[in-house]
Amino acid sequence: MRITHEIEITPTAVILDGQTLTQTETGEKMLIGLYRQHANDYPKFFKMDTLCRLGFIATELLLQAEGAERFVPTEDRAVILANRNASIKNDKDYLKTISEQDYYPSPALFVYTLPNIVTGEIAIRNKYMGETAFYILDTPDQLMPIVETTLNTPYSTLNSAIAGWCDCSDANTFYAKIQIIWKN
Amino acid sequence: MEELIEQLKQQIIEALNFEDMTPADIDAQAPLFGEGLGLDSIDALELIMLLDREYGIKLADPKSGKEVFRSVRSMAEYIEKNRTK
Amino acid sequence: MIYCLAHHIISPLGDGSQANFEAVRAGKTGLRYYANRFVSVEPFCASLFTEPQAFVPLCIHSAEQAIKETNIVPSDENVVLVLSTTKGDNLDLLSPAQQIAEHFGNRNKPIVVSNACTSGVCAHITAQRLLESGIYQHAIVIGCDLQTRFIVSGFQAFKALSDEPCLPFSPERKGLNLGEAAATIIWSTDKQGDWRLAAGSIHNDANHISAPSRTAEGAFRCLRDVMQGVQPEDIELVGVHGTATPYNDAMEQVAIERAGLAHATISALKPYFGHTMGAAGVLETIICMLTAKKQFIKMLSGFGGVNAAIRLKCE
Repeated sequence: MRITHEIEITPTAVILDGQTLTQTETGEKMLIGLYRQHANDYPKFFKMDTLCRLGFIATELLLQAEGAERFVPTEDRAVILANRNASIKNDKDYLKTISEQDYYPSPALFVYTLPNIVTGEIAIRNKYMGETAFYILDTPDQLMPIVETTLNTPYSTLNSAIAGWCDCSDANTFYAKIQIIWKN
Repeated sequence: MEELIEQLKQQIIEALNFEDMTPADIDAQAPLFGEGLGLDSIDALELIMLLDREYGIKLADPKSGKEVFRSVRSMAEYIEKNRTK
Repeated sequence: MIYCLAHHIISPLGDGSQANFEAVRAGKTGLRYYANRFVSVEPFCASLFTEPQAFVPLCIHSAEQAIKETNIVPSDENVVLVLSTTKGDNLDLLSPAQQIAEHFGNRNKPIVVSNACTSGVCAHITAQRLLESGIYQHAIVIGCDLQTRFIVSGFQAFKALSDEPCLPFSPERKGLNLGEAAATIIWSTDKQGDWRLAAGSIHNDANHISAPSRTAEGAFRCLRDVMQGVQPEDIELVGVHGTATPYNDAMEQVAIERAGLAHATISALKPYFGHTMGAAGVLETIICMLTAKKQFIKMLSGFGGVNAAIRLKCE
């Protein structure tokens, strides 16, 4: 396996391929700031929960660093993400809409109560028809054998993956470390 | 009616997370789905919830939704006739 | 190639794979009408356990029954636990997996697959890859979800539920029913048992997070991949997702036709078990193994635009 690009996002810092991108905001505001500065052409971003925003913006920056032509339909790239806390931040937001006193369940929140939606958002944005998968793991190192065996599946169409850790427990507590990994 | 339209625009902006949009940006006559605001099926469900929460209207038949959600104005007209709160 | 050493289902229709299979053959259903099950939630039709179950003990029961039929020692380091679930134990997905692993004395870190409704089929595929690459020798794949106020309210907000028993692939279909179950399959590189997992594939539609592709882009690619090296006529049965929502079943029909599988028998099990979410891909694969003679495909699709399919072959 060959790693060509890597991004790390914490609530206060963004490091792309070893270079720190200076941020003025922190937490979710920082993610919105990154979107405005580096994408700003996908209003659906504002409908996403924090986990999806984190994965989306991390992928945007990775793909801009890669510099290949964007938005070409392909099935040779997988999106394989993992975390510890599933969709807990958004699950809690949804729970607020179904209190017994004030029961108006929000469909727009419910749709994000699955952690794999972030992989779907990335696939939709980039027209990736390859594999998308989400795992809940204790530690990020557990994902590597999964990514390696995914890319090496004999009859698969995959050559590369956007893969890594994408975890969010509330609007100001999140961590992503995502890479572009090639089969060989 | 015009007051209700303005209030409704604000509620739509909040319910559907239209960042950076003000009521003035929404044309009350323009289609909500397809062209115009470009809403999708989840937005439609969220608008059904908005009618229930803010105006006490339960839209049971999704087919009637098509007419109701044609534009902000058609929504306001429907609310005026059917609101229970 | 990995082999199915043993399996087990516990659902409102019974305890044990055979008991569940016989209930299905006898036309029994777990679906009931619930008027006041959860506060504020509108009445709904679902397949729920009579006595409320706890997530971890239910998974342990199912896994124990399956392990009993094999020689594997679950505490061995060549055994991995893979849990398929979407909501776990009250929104916590990892802790229950760790508790199950601990119960069996298994010290490998468990893997939780949470890929919406495709999770169960994806869990088999993950097990296949980890076993075939030699990292582990046996995998205990458990699928489980229990219904809660959280889930039912959300599906109601989506207007996705039918208040009557669901009708997969029927022109009259108007929505799905939810269900509860736990199911286990034990996979191994040991050449034992009748059924082996020949191929698996996962593809995204890249279309919409909550609506399937009308041209079945993801599901078709899954079928295409798992049929490499076999003729369409070799496939006798296709276990569909068959949620009985208008768009899902229409999409699956398109995928089956595009893949040249229109001749195959369709197995849609939601009228018996409801949509058991994380358990569906395990439970429904087991019923297909008990139904088919030689070779079948089990497919699922879910939120996030994801689709998955596996092909199983009888030796």
